[in-house]
This record gives sequence, C-alpha cells and structure tokens, in this order.
Amino acid sequence: MNTSLIALVVALPLLAAFLLPLVPSVLRRLVGPLALLAVAALGMVLWQASLSEPLVLTLGGFRPPLGIVFYVDGVAALFVLTVALVTLLLWPWGGDASENLDRKQSLTLVLAAACTGLAVSGDLFNVYVFYELAAVASYGLAAGSRTAAAQVATFRYVILGSLGSLLALIGITLIYFRTGTLNLAHLADLAPQTLHDPLGLAAFFLILLGLGVKAELFLVNTWAPEVYATAEARVSALLAGLVSKLALLVVVRLLVLVFPLPEAREALLLLGMLGMISGEFAAYRARDIKRMLAWSSIGQLGAAFIAFSIPGPLGLAAGLAIALHHLLVKPALFLLAERWGGGLARLAGAARRSPLGAALFVLFALSLIGVPPLPGFWAKYLLLSGLAAQPDNLYLLAGLVVLVTTVVEAVYLFRVIGVMYGREGATPANEQLDNTQPASALAGSGVFAALLLAAALAAPLLAAPLGRMATQMSDGAAYVARVLPSTATLSGAAQ
Amino acid sequence: MLTRYGALLFAAGFAFLLFVLFTSQPLGAPTMLAGQAVLNEAAGTVGAANIVTAVVLAYRGIDTLGELSILFAAATAVGLVLGRSHGTDAAATAREPGGFILRAGADLLFPLLLVVGFYIIVHGHLTPGGGFQGGVVLAAAFVLPVLARPSETISHSAMAWVEGLAGGVFIVTGLLALAVDRAFLTPLLGTGQLGTLLSAGTLPLLYLAVGLKVGAELANLLLRMTEEESGT
Repeated sequence: MNTSLIALVVALPLLAAFLLPLVPSVLRRLVGPLALLAVAALGMVLWQASLSEPLVLTLGGFRPPLGIVFYVDGVAALFVLTVALVTLLLWPWGGDASENLDRKQSLTLVLAAACTGLAVSGDLFNVYVFYELAAVASYGLAAGSRTAAAQVATFRYVILGSLGSLLALIGITLIYFRTGTLNLAHLADLAPQTLHDPLGLAAFFLILLGLGVKAELFLVNTWAPEVYATAEARVSALLAGLVSKLALLVVVRLLVLVFPLPEAREALLLLGMLGMISGEFAAYRARDIKRMLAWSSIGQLGAAFIAFSIPGPLGLAAGLAIALHHLLVKPALFLLAERWGGGLARLAGAARRSPLGAALFVLFALSLIGVPPLPGFWAKYLLLSGLAAQPDNLYLLAGLVVLVTTVVEAVYLFRVIGVMYGREGATPANEQLDNTQPASALAGSGVFAALLLAAALAAPLLAAPLGRMATQMSDGAAYVARVLPSTATLSGAAQ
Repeated sequence: MLTRYGALLFAAGFAFLLFVLFTSQPLGAPTMLAGQAVLNEAAGTVGAANIVTAVVLAYRGIDTLGELSILFAAATAVGLVLGRSHGTDAAATAREPGGFILRAGADLLFPLLLVVGFYIIVHGHLTPGGGFQGGVVLAAAFVLPVLARPSETISHSAMAWVEGLAGGVFIVTGLLALAVDRAFLTPLLGTGQLGTLLSAGTLPLLYLAVGLKVGAELANLLLRMTEEESGT
C-alpha cells in the first residue's frame, strides 16, 4: 500500500479538530465521528499490511536520522485501530451547551491524534510532543465536567503531569546529548556503545517515571483515583483505557529497542509489582465504586508492567494481552459506574433497577478477575506462564504477587456484586436515588461486552496474530534495518 | 509541617540529581551527529537561510504541527474551564476606558506591532524569528486596543475563524504533498534562490499559518482571561 497515507492517522483528527468550530452547525456533529471512522478504516488496512511486513514513512521526505519517521508494525497499527474505535465509542455526543460541546469534541479529537501519534512515531522527541499533546488535551477533558471537585483533582493532575513531562524531557535531553540523534532506530544502533552505562540507564529511568505519570506507574499515579472519580465517565474511560496504554507502549518500545538491559527490566518488574500490590489493596479499601475502579486500573497496569519486563516475545505477548484486555474492560466499567457514584451501599438493589447494567458489570468483573473462558483468563495465563519460565527468583515472586492480588481483586469485585444483587438495605433514601443506567452508557458498554465475548469465542484464533505481533515488536534488529538501510553514511559524514 | 519539609527535601534531592547528571557530561563537546548532518545539507535541500526554520518546518515539521496542536488544546481547555456561553458583553460595556496615555499609546503602537509582527513572520525563513515569535507580537497588537478601550471587544468568532483556517492551511499544505506522490509535510515549489524573500518553497506559507494561528490563539486566551477577571 501507499505508505504516505500513514500520515493521515495523525493529520485527519487534527484537521477535524481545527476546523470543527467553523463547520455549519447542521454538519458539525458529524465531523469528528467521520474523521475517526476514516482513521479506523486506515488502521484496519494498515494492520493487514503491516502484519506481514512493517511499514515506514519518512515525513517530509528527509532520510531517517535527520527527518522524523513513522513506523507501523502490527502493534502500532492495531493501536491506531483501537484508538479510533474506542474514541468513537466514548465520543461526547451531547449533554452540553453547543459551544462547550464543540470544545469537548475538539479536545477528544486532539487526544485521539496524540494517541495515534504515540503509536506510530519512531522519533524520541516526536514522542514527547505527542505525549505532551495527549497530556494537555486530557487536562482539558478532565476539568471539563466543570465541578469544583473535578477542577481540584485536575489541578493536582496538571502539577504531577508537568513534573512527569519535565522528567521525560530531561531524560530525552540526556540521551540526545550523549548520542546526537533522536531517531529510535538510530538510537538502537548506537545504544550499545553510548547508552548502556549508568548514565544511559538514568536517562531511561527519567523517561520511565515521566511517561509513567500517564501509564499509572507506581509512585506517580496518585492523581488517578481523584481524577477518575470526578471526571465524566467517558473521560475516565479514555484516560484509564486508552492514554495509559499508549504511554506504556512507548516505554516498551524504548525498552525493546534502546535499553534491552536487565537493570531496566528489573525496574519495570519492581515498579509493576509495587503498583499491583498498592493498587489492588487500595481498591479493596475503597468505598466508592469509581475510586475502586481507578485503583484496580493502577493494579492492572502494574500487571502489564510486570508482563513487559519478561524478556523476549513471550513477555510482549503477555503484556499486549493484558493491555488490550484492560482496554476493553475498564472503559466499559467506568461507563457503567457513571450513575453509581457515592458509597458502595448506594448500590443495594441496583440489579433490580438495572438488570442489564448489573449483568454487564458481572461479566466484566469476571473477566477482570480472570475466570475462564473469558479473555482475562488468557491474559493472566500468559502472564503467569511467562513468569514461571524465567529462571530469576524475582519473577517467581512477581508470579506470587499476581496470584495474591487476583484473590484480593476477586474479593472486592464480588463484594460489589453481592451488594448489587443483595436485598435492599433499610435505607429508604435509596429509593429516591436515580441509579438506573442511561441508555447511552448501556449501549457503549454493551459494545465492549460484545467485543469481549467475541474475543472469548475466538481466543484460539487470536493467539496467532498476537504471537506474530509480539515477535515483530521484539525484533529490534529488524526495526533498525527497516528504518535505516545504511547507517554508515551519516556516521561517516558527521565525523 | 512534614509535607512542607518533604517537598523541600525532594526539590533539593532532585536538584542534586540533575547536578550530578549534567556535571558528568563532557562540557562544550556535544555529539553533533544528526545536527551536523542537518547543518551541512539544510541550505541546499530546503533552501532556508535560517537553518532553525529548516529544522522546525521541514525536518521536524510534524513536531511543529504537534506544538501548534498543544497550543490549540491549551486554549480550548481554558475556554472549556473559564468559558461562559456568551453573556459577557454586558459586563464588558460597563468597563471604564483606559487613560489618555494608554489610549494614545495603543493607537500609535497598533500599526507598528502589526508591521513588526508580520515582518518577523514572513522573514522567518531568512532571519531569526518566525511564526511563533511573530504570532506573539500579533497577539499583543490585538490585545493592546482592548486594554485601552475595554468596551470595544474583538469578536471571538472572528478569532476562531482565523485560528481554525490557519491550522487548516498548515495541514492542507502538508497534505498537498500527497497529491504529487510525496510524503506528508514535504516542502513543495522548489527551493528558490537562497536568502531571497521568495525562497524555501512552501515554508513561508507554513510560517504564515503558524503565525496567524499562534496570534489568534494567544489573543483569544488573553482576552478570555481579562473578561473573566472583570466579569466576576
């Protein structure tokens, strides 16, 4: 296929976002969904094409180490497709004054463009630009519910997010200063001589912590529960479901290409374990369903970090499975929880008032815990078998952590289900509360449920492309060879 | 008490970390791998006498598009947080005009700022400066009259049109390259004579779009904040 079309996955949503306020009001509500549909179609085509061979686009036509490249392998194309589809499912259709709805739609489009950019970019500073773009758009969306609590939560998010961006930028500066290049393939080529030392690792840790803010990494994830509890449900769903995965993807690309070192893996493993323990136990303690989901999301991302720390395609396959599973489940849960805020006791009798909503919640909860044959089981199975195959005891400890936290996860999710299906308490106030589900939330999570069930049925069929994507992604040498057919020319010219 | 010292301790530790990281680098001998290659070939292949512009708009054009979008997202987010749906006009008309010196100064400066702003933008590919810097000067030009005469506000919708169209022009110029079978954001129209006003192909057009977008966005942002301040 024509590789120059790859640029459209970033350019189209941005163009739609810029021009949205100028479109006549009759057609204005169509602009965003049409742009996202086009990106989804493009993502589908790219996925087909890139599974056999990765595609490279040199933006502006300048040869790679000088210009910026977009690199589309199976994983990147799949994420482009997912970004477009999930954004479409969580699209802000209405419920606001026209002017504010325009702004929310513009910001959502910008966020989608930043996410696809993060998926395909092959340049370290370009990654930073898209990361910052995603950050600014998500600050706006998180504050968009315009309640005081949301603005306070967003303010903390902005502070922590800025610190994260600063750390990442310092790390990138350090890498650029030491190597004189920003292209990921070129960095991968130079890393063994220039970056595999304590200073290079320091740069990696700075970037890890910086991007970790969005990926809900342990230590820098304290913003998440408050933001997810106060923002609109679809915004929480976008941030927890989508943006966190793209930040994670960038970290993994760096790990695979530039820092395939045991120390870097150990850092990921330890932080992932701490995130999983702290997230799941905090979720156990949470007395509000949105905060509980937020902490559980931190725990799940901890599991993904653990999975990606396993060397080789095995770890990548497990990590991708966990990330994609979480991407399907958590947005749906946030959509369902939109009207279920407040204390858990308020959920008493929710199953009677909203039987479909409660049934969907049970389905997603079961998959999250990892009950076979739901996809969550396969994700955890891949993770545990990957961990068990490692000789290092630390990996076995991580396996133990995964098992223990799964029990904790089951306890707090079943507690919620118990309240929902249990007898209504003696609190008569419950009757007045409107905690039935709006049709849009049910429809949205219904689509996610359909996807989840389809994945459960087609699990044996999904193994082949998943393994293919993981092998493709783990092959750093192929990445370098594809992007830089001849590195010698530049090194020769510069010296 | 503890948290206050904790923050201090964190800042001190962070400063020490940065100090150690950067003192361990060799001073004054940066590895200019990509940088040197760009310096060598930029004038020939891009045709911009100002090599910074060649990097900003040609080699790393997609970064600039991203930065424009960041500014757009920030302005939109501020609008979402502060914006009331209209109804600010009544508050604006009630405001007192500035003193004589401010009004006369604003009148004198307005054309000057416009000329300087556009000069910086259209010479961005020749001399230091360009769309971002010139755009800020343009924003100042449009905010100053409002400070002098708060009752005469500039319409937000006009600003929104400039902003949206300028952003659209940047992306569409980039997409035009696809029509002639080149990659997104490839500079078109040849390089021209190095150092002349009409050189470097489509780069001046891109910088004009950047300048107008930055100017409109910043002016909008500042105006919204002054409205918010006087409105409450």
